[in-house]
Amino acid sequence: MKKIQLKYVLPIVIPLIILLLPITSFGIVDMTLVEQRIIAIFVMAALCWVLEPIPIYATSVLIIVLELLLISDKGLWFSKTPSPELGHLISYKTIMGTFSSPIIMLFLGGFFLAMAATKYRLDINLARVLLKPFGKNPKYVMLGLMIITAIFSMFMSNTATTAMMLSILTPVLALFASKDLGKVAFALSVPVAANIGGIGTPIGTPPNAVALKYLVDENNISFGEWMVFGVPFVIVMLFIAWLLLSTLFPSSIKEINLNIKGRFLKTPKAIIVYVTFIVTILLWLMGGLHGMNSYVVALIPVAVFSMFKIITKEDLKKISWDVLWLVSGGIALGVGLDQSGLAANAIEAIPFAEFHPLLLIVGASLLCLLMANFMSHTATANLLLPLVAALGASMHSLLPYGGEVVLILAVTFAASLGMSLPISTPPNALAYASGHVETKQMARVGGGIGIIGLLITYAMLYMLKQISFIG
Amino acid sequence: MEKINIICVDDEREVLESVVHDLEYFSDMFNIEECESAFECLELLEELDAQQEYVAVLISDHVMPEKSGVELLTEVALDNRFLGTKKLLLTGLATQADTIRAINNAKLDNFLEKVWDPQELLQTVKELLTEYIVEKGIDYEVYIEKLDAPTLYRLIKC
Repeated sequence: MKKIQLKYVLPIVIPLIILLLPITSFGIVDMTLVEQRIIAIFVMAALCWVLEPIPIYATSVLIIVLELLLISDKGLWFSKTPSPELGHLISYKTIMGTFSSPIIMLFLGGFFLAMAATKYRLDINLARVLLKPFGKNPKYVMLGLMIITAIFSMFMSNTATTAMMLSILTPVLALFASKDLGKVAFALSVPVAANIGGIGTPIGTPPNAVALKYLVDENNISFGEWMVFGVPFVIVMLFIAWLLLSTLFPSSIKEINLNIKGRFLKTPKAIIVYVTFIVTILLWLMGGLHGMNSYVVALIPVAVFSMFKIITKEDLKKISWDVLWLVSGGIALGVGLDQSGLAANAIEAIPFAEFHPLLLIVGASLLCLLMANFMSHTATANLLLPLVAALGASMHSLLPYGGEVVLILAVTFAASLGMSLPISTPPNALAYASGHVETKQMARVGGGIGIIGLLITYAMLYMLKQISFIG
Repeated sequence: MEKINIICVDDEREVLESVVHDLEYFSDMFNIEECESAFECLELLEELDAQQEYVAVLISDHVMPEKSGVELLTEVALDNRFLGTKKLLLTGLATQADTIRAINNAKLDNFLEKVWDPQELLQTVKELLTEYIVEKGIDYEVYIEKLDAPTLYRLIKC
């Protein structure tokens, strides 16, 4: 009972205390009132995302509304009382604009593609065709399943992909003897591959979108550039996960038959879906040739699918607005920290510069991995990335290692690698619900992949720096 | 957490108790209600609706004095407040005409014969409950340990 109350009390009381403290008590030189309010909002967001007294997307909306009330130029009357300590109020348009920032539009485009693909059964039909070459040997069927799950989760939500692939697997899992470890491997292979696959593209998983917000100007990474390092990373990780799963949980069944019904739709609408899908992805990959960036390209499928009633009024209501809002809140948090000047000020006050930059990279990504195992990946990214981006920008000692891009990417990848518990990600929860996996087994695989994944992330970033791809 | 109800209706006390006993599995997360007649059930439905609670599954016997199970389920099927409520008829004494009416008018979601297999009843309710929760857009993650995984996989689209 006490614990339940604490989860409601803390997110209210602690930010209030921060608001009421005298401004000099923070130890930051020339701190303004606006900056103090940002700290309070940030702390509230952190507590709400960790303790979850309200849904995580509601926290995001709350951030945006509180920013509008307390630190915008059209906020509550007393929040704008002129004083030398007030600081810089942020334009309300900027804060509201986070709901429709280009990053959100990119994700909306991704949602439209995923929705149309599911509605016109492109996903399940592709799965059927792509699984064929992997034969019937359980080991290779599992590899096939993982590759396909990963490819799909690069463009669809990790949860939807997992649900679809697990529904294909259900009849097969029923054939395993109750003691056969093979079914553990199969049940785990899907969420693991979905979590890993999300790393492959900017739209693969929401933390990537949050990262894009901080990869601007000279650090800009296009859709194609992201895939240049994202996809090889996914391939390496998938292979390692596959080896891990097939060694830890060998299967005693000799043959596996996946039976997926249906055939490719050939109606005009279905063909429009196929063509739009391919064209959009090609346009994303050829960013340099046609002058459009990935954000602009993302709206093409939105227009096409709406025009041809492929995504109808009813489908529109089923879009995961909660995910879009969750990301918006993270962006708004970053905007607040950045535009109020707090990010730059606070970093100066904390002696991070004395730390060794490698220690910072490892420390930040480990913290991110740890948090992502216990809470939403997106909320983790929302909290850590604005801090990390501010740190990275101000730390000159980081430059020889690739600068802030390295720090941001390490933390972003770490956010997707948190998958050791059923509560870590919705795909994990779904696989756990199958009843074929024990928490201990999931922890062993997920924990292992998390640590190995971080090491490979470091190696990859080092190589990217060596070939001057980043930094 | 939302308040989600499973209602059992049977005029024989022992039968009712045995149904509830078989559904014990759900009792820590869902509310299991017992009614001894169709009228009692309709009254309870009014109450639950006034409290804005969900009625996920309605399990009813057919042969009861005053109002039959099929009549009860038909009434619920036509009431738009309980749109989506899963209806299960649990009976050994339905004639063919009753059965036809049950399917056509009461839009049954499931039909189990008395004497039932407890495992089968549990599994059926589990599936119906999962369908209800996903269809209603209730956050399934909270209840996931009590739900039917294959049904979830089939229904989750985003």
